[in-house]
Amino acid sequence: MNQAASPNLSEDEKDILQEIMNIAFGNATADLAEVVDIYVMLSIPNIQVIGIGELPSYLKDTIKDDGESSIVEQKFWGNFKGSGLLVFPSGSGKDLLAFLDDKADYTYESNAAATLEKGGLLEIGNILIGACVGKVSELLGTFVTYSPPQVLQGKASDYNYLIEHFDPQQTAIVMKTIFTFKEKDINGFLLILTNHESIDWLQKALHEFMDSYE
Amino acid sequence: MIFSQMFDMLDVGIMILDSDLKVFKWNRWMATHSKILPEKIVGKSIFEFFPDLNAPWFLRNCKSVFTFGNFAFFSQKLHKYCFPFKAYNTLGSDFEYMQQSCTVGPLRDDNNRINYIYITVQDVTEVAAYEKKLINMNTRDGLTGIFNRRYLETKLEEEFDRHIRYNRPLSLIMLDIDHFKGINDNYGHQAGDFILKSLATLIDERIRVVDIVARYGGEEFCCLLPETTAESALALAEFLRMGVEAEIYHFKDKSIKITISQGVSDLNSNVDTAEMLLKLADDGLYEAKRAGRNKVSMISNKKKES
Repeated sequence: MNQAASPNLSEDEKDILQEIMNIAFGNATADLAEVVDIYVMLSIPNIQVIGIGELPSYLKDTIKDDGESSIVEQKFWGNFKGSGLLVFPSGSGKDLLAFLDDKADYTYESNAAATLEKGGLLEIGNILIGACVGKVSELLGTFVTYSPPQVLQGKASDYNYLIEHFDPQQTAIVMKTIFTFKEKDINGFLLILTNHESIDWLQKALHEFMDSYE
Repeated sequence: MIFSQMFDMLDVGIMILDSDLKVFKWNRWMATHSKILPEKIVGKSIFEFFPDLNAPWFLRNCKSVFTFGNFAFFSQKLHKYCFPFKAYNTLGSDFEYMQQSCTVGPLRDDNNRINYIYITVQDVTEVAAYEKKLINMNTRDGLTGIFNRRYLETKLEEEFDRHIRYNRPLSLIMLDIDHFKGINDNYGHQAGDFILKSLATLIDERIRVVDIVARYGGEEFCCLLPETTAESALALAEFLRMGVEAEIYHFKDKSIKITISQGVSDLNSNVDTAEMLLKLADDGLYEAKRAGRNKVSMISNKKKES
């Protein structure tokens, strides 16, 4: 790893972040079920620090895209800044609509099915990313603002788009969790990418979080 | 206060709702477009005035914002609008209601509890109108108003894949005006254009809504017929042939009669690609021409031995 890349997370800090994510995702799961009737299980998150330059190939390997997975991407910003990336396996769009009991409420003209599926993906994506990022932010004592989510095609140019605003010399923290919808054979994974600018703030927030327990 | 002035000065609808979804604040933009004054709506449930919002999609997203502090986005593409206001910014488009892009976000008190949410409403009618125009230009033939070749080819691929997957019948008709060059030569190009438009209308009126008719080339048209067997497609082609033959086109003081030749193809086990389906219909069309025109023809294809 490039030593010019400024402060990385120490092992301790990674552990704290891991713990925060465990708590956050637990809360998110409970609230999703209770509030919006989305029953989802989230695996214990895995945290990695990756050079930005390696991110596109990491994403390509992780997503193992057959060109048909659906990816919902949403940027968020504030002290805590980055992107949420939700990857659904191919063909799950229709099944996801089953979670939304009001599909008829979407108005559409031509290309109805595709628009509907995309709408379902965007809505579920927006809520899942919002729930997870929101709960992590809350524990870190901050609030974030979200941009509208969008559906990506899984093409190389789209991965590059994701890292456009990152400096290739820098590092990103990648938090990955696998989600499974209960009673539905749908699973995929959620990545939260945060860029370099957040790291200084994140380290401080992690220590403050620990201090509150001491 | 400067800050509270902004609330009313902005050219954006803004409202604040409490956790029971009762209106707490209603800005001037909202009052102007809804014709509901703040004093009438503040303190009342939003559903009293906008009952259509009392639906799972709206409730679910509001709850999510209260719980997670995330944002919810109701895009024009999916929802067209959340608040039915008269469109006034339409640039000659045909939107009856203002097209809107709405965002819902959280507002926190000193203890970081989310007691209120805001909703912003942006008028995007102009953008939606441009988009509609662009889509039209991209998918329609300028002269006849029916679909263009590009659109047909996209739909053909889609329908081909879908019909293969579900093992459903799919047929195609390629048709061409007989001796069209003669019409242009004898009556002029305006008459030719008039014939093209009239024929497009005639076909469009005689096919089902799910069928797609497109102008494929100069005087060549193509009908894509989902869920249609070769037998039905042949019957439709014959129906069109007779319809065209019986029609007399009046252009200025001239009476013009035309006939059409047609080739039919269908999705069978020997057809592996959409191009092949198109090619077979085209072959049928040439066969119909060769056989003397004003005919319908279908080539039964056999897999080439290699």
